[in-house]
Amino acid sequence: MKKYLIAYSIALQETLQRRSTLIMDRLGGFAVVISLYSFWIALIGDKSSFLGYSRSEMLTYVLLLNILRSFVFAGRGWQLVGEISSGRISSYLVRPISYHGYALSLDLAQKSVHLVSAILEVSLLAALVRGQLFIPADPATWLLFTASVVVSSLLFFFLEFLVSSLAFWTSESGGPLFCFELFLQFAAGAFFPLDVLPEGLRRALEITPFPYMVYFPIRLFLQKITPAQALHLLTLETAWLFAVAAAALFVWRRGVRSYAAEGG
Amino acid sequence: MRPLIVKYGRIWMRTASMAMQAQLSYRLGSFGFLLGKMIRLFFFFAFMAAVFQHVEQVAGYSLVETALFFMTFNLVDMSAQILFRGVYGARRTVSEGDFDFYLVQPCSPLFRITCSTVDFLDMVTILPVIVMTGMVFARLPAMGWERHALYWLLIFNAVALIYAIHVLVAGLAVRTQELESAIWIYRDVMFMGKFPVDVYAPSVRHALTFVIPIAVMTTFPAKAFLGRLSTMWIAYAFAVTAAALPLSCLYWNRSVARYTSSSS
Repeated sequence: MKKYLIAYSIALQETLQRRSTLIMDRLGGFAVVISLYSFWIALIGDKSSFLGYSRSEMLTYVLLLNILRSFVFAGRGWQLVGEISSGRISSYLVRPISYHGYALSLDLAQKSVHLVSAILEVSLLAALVRGQLFIPADPATWLLFTASVVVSSLLFFFLEFLVSSLAFWTSESGGPLFCFELFLQFAAGAFFPLDVLPEGLRRALEITPFPYMVYFPIRLFLQKITPAQALHLLTLETAWLFAVAAAALFVWRRGVRSYAAEGG
Repeated sequence: MRPLIVKYGRIWMRTASMAMQAQLSYRLGSFGFLLGKMIRLFFFFAFMAAVFQHVEQVAGYSLVETALFFMTFNLVDMSAQILFRGVYGARRTVSEGDFDFYLVQPCSPLFRITCSTVDFLDMVTILPVIVMTGMVFARLPAMGWERHALYWLLIFNAVALIYAIHVLVAGLAVRTQELESAIWIYRDVMFMGKFPVDVYAPSVRHALTFVIPIAVMTTFPAKAFLGRLSTMWIAYAFAVTAAALPLSCLYWNRSVARYTSSSS
């Protein structure tokens, strides 16, 4: 465990050392949040709600979106693709350390920094727009929300690992990873609530693991689903996590077996 | 002047041909990137269409008018991505020392760093955008040729303004060798141009008109076509570009003058 903590600590220092990159990353994300928030406010207009979301709920949705995008979607897929394609991964495979554990430590360090930044940003935006936020009073909601976000984050980690592992067989896995990440962001509700989509498309997306990553946690936070439904969905989300993690580990083992250390 | 245009035209054709061959040899990767770009386009369009199932207007614009803003954003953004893709690798070109070769070649290093990489995937993606823009035009009331001419002039003006921003980013890469995220900030801020700037709060709208002129690039051409842009703002759009181009070139020249080579 100690070696993973050291990996976490080093990664944290590295992320904080590259301050200009971090600030610019965050500024860019902030622009997207302002953009989405403004669009939704324009949609609500003089109405009291839009698609069942009141003004305060929509503001909360957009701000939570920024936090979840920072926490859930901060991954290491592109690094993994680069390490496999260049052969740099060989040096990790011979070390007495689990690559997944190591990657998870690095991932967590990145998420920690981005989470803190995202919370600061949304606090600033909330103060700027002087909007009423929806804050649930029930501690059970907070508990379920935190649990769902942690599971979402792990689900994204293993999903990205699964797709990135294609790099063991082809040097062209960047394309599928790009495609996957874009599709995932839309299908997860990371640009707009899935309620806006036609019923058929929304139902089709709900049988995939993607809506569990953003759409479901935010609806849970906004108390749009009952505690019983939340528990049921959290169970399904956890089942998806186990299934995806098992698939990712299986593909990883097969990949390592066929790995030829090109370029290394 | 003519021999110079012919010379640079030949250089562009040669480097574009090399870029196309590289992308064709990278079939799975290219297919993934292409599919991802199509998915992004499809989802945003589906989102717009779905939103207008529930509202009549957004910020005073109908569905077809909002679609015109969205398609204009895509036209401008994709044209710039096709033509100025090289800037995305500027930092690497500088930090790995390849920029030294650009400086000794009998060709403008600015042209080499900004225009010599052509993204053919965007060239494929822009085709449906052009078709969809044509469909949007067909659904709008018939406009005189002056409106069409003004629209395309402002699109050209927008691409020139984006070029100025790309030159600035390339200058930053030469000067600092670390501002990797600068171009990605531009991408994220450009996201705000997907919607007409009228949806934003006055302070944001002013920032998008006078500080980072996203409005000039994406909103102005569509507004001019719809007859909602005054002569004063049209003059402002051309004046901004007329000022930005020489200023960014000046910054570039100063950055190159200070360049001391960063690699062996």
